[in-house]
Amino acid sequence: MSVKIEVIEGGMPHQKILIAGLVLAVIGLYLSYLNVIVGTQMFAFFGGLAAIAALIWGSHTIKILASYGIGTGVPSAGMIAFGSGVIAFLFATKYGLYAPIVAIILAAVIGAILGYLANEVLAMHIPVMIKSLTEMAVVGALTLMGFSAMISGSFTFSALTTGSMKVLGMSLPSYQASYIGGALIATVFMLGAIAIQHGFNACLGPGWKQDRMLMLVAECGFLSMMVAAVMSAALISPAAAILSFLIGLVGWYYTYMKYIELSKRDAAAWLDLKPIPEVEGH
Amino acid sequence: MSALGGAKPAGGATGIAPVPAVISLVIFVIIFALMYMVGTPLAMTALIGIVIGGLLIGFGVHFVPVGGAPAAMGQAPGIATGVAMLAAGGGLAGLFGGAWAASQGTLVAVVTGAIGGGLMLAITCFFVNFVYIYGMGIPAASGKVKKDPITGDSQVEYKSQGTEGHGLPFVSFTGGVIGGLLGGAGGTLIYLMLLDVYQASLPGIMKATAVQIQPIAVSLAGMFAIGIFLVIAVLAAYNITGTIEGPHDPKFKRFPRALIACAVASALCGVMAILLVMV
Amino acid sequence: MDNIVFSIGITALAGALAAVAGAAENVESDIGSQGDPNSQVQLAPQMGYIHRIYNKAIAGEPPAWGLWIALGAGIAWAFMAMQINPILAIVLGAGLATFVQGVYSTTAYLGRTASLSKFGQPVYIDIIKSMTTVTMAHAFVAIFATVTLCHLMNAALGHPFPLPLLGLVWGIALGAAGSATGNPYYGKERQYQTQNFGAGVPISASGNIVRYAEAGERNSLDNGYFTSKLGGAAAGVCFGLIVFLELWRTVLFEKVGAGWGAIIVGVIIILVFTVIDRYIEVWARKNYGPYTKPTEETAS
Repeated sequence: MSVKIEVIEGGMPHQKILIAGLVLAVIGLYLSYLNVIVGTQMFAFFGGLAAIAALIWGSHTIKILASYGIGTGVPSAGMIAFGSGVIAFLFATKYGLYAPIVAIILAAVIGAILGYLANEVLAMHIPVMIKSLTEMAVVGALTLMGFSAMISGSFTFSALTTGSMKVLGMSLPSYQASYIGGALIATVFMLGAIAIQHGFNACLGPGWKQDRMLMLVAECGFLSMMVAAVMSAALISPAAAILSFLIGLVGWYYTYMKYIELSKRDAAAWLDLKPIPEVEGH
Repeated sequence: MSALGGAKPAGGATGIAPVPAVISLVIFVIIFALMYMVGTPLAMTALIGIVIGGLLIGFGVHFVPVGGAPAAMGQAPGIATGVAMLAAGGGLAGLFGGAWAASQGTLVAVVTGAIGGGLMLAITCFFVNFVYIYGMGIPAASGKVKKDPITGDSQVEYKSQGTEGHGLPFVSFTGGVIGGLLGGAGGTLIYLMLLDVYQASLPGIMKATAVQIQPIAVSLAGMFAIGIFLVIAVLAAYNITGTIEGPHDPKFKRFPRALIACAVASALCGVMAILLVMV
Repeated sequence: MDNIVFSIGITALAGALAAVAGAAENVESDIGSQGDPNSQVQLAPQMGYIHRIYNKAIAGEPPAWGLWIALGAGIAWAFMAMQINPILAIVLGAGLATFVQGVYSTTAYLGRTASLSKFGQPVYIDIIKSMTTVTMAHAFVAIFATVTLCHLMNAALGHPFPLPLLGLVWGIALGAAGSATGNPYYGKERQYQTQNFGAGVPISASGNIVRYAEAGERNSLDNGYFTSKLGGAAAGVCFGLIVFLELWRTVLFEKVGAGWGAIIVGVIIILVFTVIDRYIEVWARKNYGPYTKPTEETAS
């Protein structure tokens, strides 16, 4: 693509978005852990909100990385984020209460090493490469953890691997009807990988505006939360799934309407059934 | 699209920079030492298998001919898709076949996976040529070489004016098939190694029978295999910087440093995936 | 014997579904203008060529289709785990995935076009209203067909991967096969219809896509109408053959020679395709002839 990508001017500084995203994601994950402490499943939606906070942070990181011209497309950044994040996430689930912290540390290590390999061994020599890949691995791990907690009730290894199956009217524990046994993690993987890069990829262009991109990522996050809530109905109680779905629906509607408003603000013209305008010279 | 303030490494654009290579080697050794101290012999074998799988994938990605956006307009040879994702498409189709044959032994399964990936790329490359030749009336021509290295056909006069070549000359087609073979083999190998580790360790951890935990083992191994595959493919795509015509392209000579990076990356991800059930 | 006959029947059905899915995938991405040809739709306003084409920039086709199919499969799996009838589950899964696809399409168009405001490219609301539903319809067909064939692989043919994982694998494969086959046909033949037939687009013509065409100002439905004739069919046959041959050689030959039978058959099929490819390449060189005389080797 020969679109010139310019460095960010104005708007919220990346450092602020990083801290806000990280802190909100961790708080959201621990709020969802209330499920385990209280013994219910109604706090599952906090996992979805944590994932959205991480996604917003991650999309801004992709914007920073892409403004240096990495040569491949934007979607591959999402892939490497989630490819490295899924490993850190799954490893961390065994640590119960400390899972989010372990995931962050481990993802940071993996991301930093991958960034070093890409920057020095593959000679890409982009100033922000190592920092960006570190951030993206952490974002990938936190997003996966958030949605996994939302779908299966909590982010501990036992919650992710046990479900129940109805046989002859009785509920029997089954590994096959669980989050990992049924590989719903594959769906969440792709949901996150596309959502994280869509914000920047869809607002790409000379008229890029930070608030519009962040609103779009929030909209993608809430949309993912809605469908994740539908999938969670198989694994957690119907009331908790409906609560997650409603919160996702309200959030999605709000962010989608705001996004349309912001697009209207930024577009050259907002035409309905009009012909191509005449531009001098063509 | 060059990086800001990028200084050329000591090895030049295609060479291996010495200092990062040494540091990568150190990281590699640390990972293997960690595995040796904490894990079982099965885990060690699995880690070696995962590294080999990562090398196969990283090397295979360099063979696949990708033309990017110009190829979609007949301006450049190759397939008009992204490098990492086309390789992923072939590799995952191979993984599908290899996973199915897992019960027939490691060698058979890996070769089956390779054939699955190669078959997908062969059919895809054939149809790309079909559309170019019969749908668009454009013969295949390479922009990087005067003669096709395999068939000896001259390329220059079959290149339309104002373009860098188009379609898939025979060497690119072969490159695509080889890339699919290697990618499918690598992905399947990673999957099988992890499956072995999980099938051996999960019954003890989860206090259940081997049959019961089979879905967990398969899904975990499959998800890790896909995750590692995507990481390796994206790293290899970074090395290629977007487009490559196939094994005859000068960019192909960059593959040694990609092998170093992919070896370390797959070792790192592999050790984490194995330690999931060891620590 | 019965088992093999049953498996062959399932294989044939899966191959047919894959062909439908491949064709629908390609037409969907041509109507929405996704993938590499979309870079021209993005470039045109910057060169002064305002247009009325849908600008659906959602990653590339392989990851996007990986998402739609994995999502359809995941939701279908969830509904099947709730003891809902599999066909209804797949329909609901495909429906919800199509909804997500539609929302992503609208946000992509709005976002990319708003970011091109500097060049005067307007946002056309009627384009969103009329094209989005058409891409969603094609997406539904492709998602439904692919999730069904994944379900057949898991439930009827006994593949160990659970449904969402199969959905991810075949979604990426579908996107890769469909985009490889269909993108050049849409990009060169339809977007640059005014260029000479039988040659690539010269670099000097970049951005000058066709905007005024046979039925007034061209929009993406016109593009879909055109590309479905060859691009869609080719992508369909391509993906259909991929799925069919992969399943066929496994189902029939995996018991032969302790697994080596299927491998040998696979090698033979790859060689057959290589020979056919070489044949058409030589045919094109002989019948189309070179563009310039072979002795004049000036770089063009």
